[in-house]
Amino acid sequence: MAEQRFNCTLCGQCCRGWIPLTLDDALANAGRFPLAMVWTPVRPGSRAFDLTTRLGTTVQLRNHKQVAVLIAPTAYIPPSFPCPALTADNLCGIQGDKPQRCRTMPFYPYREENDQADILVPRKGWACDTSAAAPVIYRDKTIIDREAFDREREALTAQAPSLRAYAETMLKQNAALTDYLTKAAQNPVAGHFAVNFSSYLRLNRSYDLIAFAKAQHPVLTAFANRTEKTPELADYHTYYKESAAELSWFAQRS
Amino acid sequence: MSTCVCGSGLAFALCCEPILNGKPAPTAEALMRSRYAAYALGKLDHVERTATPEALEGFNRQDSERVVDESKWLGLEILRTVDGGEGDQTGQVEFVFRYSLRGQTYAQHELSTFCRKDGAWLYSSSEINPKSPPVRVTKEGRNDPCACGSGKKHKKCCGA
Repeated sequence: MAEQRFNCTLCGQCCRGWIPLTLDDALANAGRFPLAMVWTPVRPGSRAFDLTTRLGTTVQLRNHKQVAVLIAPTAYIPPSFPCPALTADNLCGIQGDKPQRCRTMPFYPYREENDQADILVPRKGWACDTSAAAPVIYRDKTIIDREAFDREREALTAQAPSLRAYAETMLKQNAALTDYLTKAAQNPVAGHFAVNFSSYLRLNRSYDLIAFAKAQHPVLTAFANRTEKTPELADYHTYYKESAAELSWFAQRS
Repeated sequence: MSTCVCGSGLAFALCCEPILNGKPAPTAEALMRSRYAAYALGKLDHVERTATPEALEGFNRQDSERVVDESKWLGLEILRTVDGGEGDQTGQVEFVFRYSLRGQTYAQHELSTFCRKDGAWLYSSSEINPKSPPVRVTKEGRNDPCACGSGKKHKKCCGA
């Protein structure tokens, strides 16, 4: 019987870098995280292909191949940076209302339930307890306590039509996006790219861009400043700066 | 009498003005021209009033106010129309318009689809830059003909 054990030791090591968020979590945390829409092509051979077509969309590339594309609202934090909500003692400062993504750890509902095994192996530097003393959390490719996993998956499924409509419009209006996807699909390492989060809001009647910009603009500006002097973070710096510029008009409204 | 901003060469009062004031556009092209004029003149109510409910879902008023406020409209050129006449129920208009934004001049090439609802033309959807990625226009000289199509030198017209 295949089973895997896990217990969180509060090491804080997974509280770094990107956090894919539900749309609701992204909007609720606009005053905390620098946001991006991260587009990731998933090739037909991949185990996550079918699921990604349901959570995201499918796109015909320049080479006439079809890929599934995951469009993830993301806390776009450099991998070397801790989460802005992580406190000095390595604990979550927003435990009561932290994003659904953090609650579901170590599981990952962007992949099938039976495809979680390798994600449960701690990454280098992580201090997760996977010894015999830790409880079994995954047995025969089934999650034992599935409440958080199901809740996050439900949110991802519910928001899929809106993200699909967004992707469709974006691809129609920006021919370059299909080029980026084609390029990203050919590169297994850096197979994704970030698009301004505000591009999603701009294509929807119901969003208050001014309220969003007032929360998000200062965050983007702060991250632009923090990444300015680090050459390895030049791409992040450019992203923050350009995204902030997109929002500056709205941020200045009264 | 002022010439219409849509570049038709007609007087504003005989071209887009009545449509902006609520008169039904006779053709898809006339509606398209009036929607360009609405952006140029900041009359966004007209843009909202002449879109299908589906198109309206994707229309963010605040964003359009930003676009109107930040852009300078330099001219419209209709490239091609498909149907969209007085006897048609659907139509397409392909056009290019130029605008400047934060000191940079841009051209946007767009193919828009229109349909008739209860007799009136409505904007339905668009494909932007249907063939090529965004074009960055080289800076025009002060003595070059103005990009808005007025025939005047740039320095005597939009560049003044």
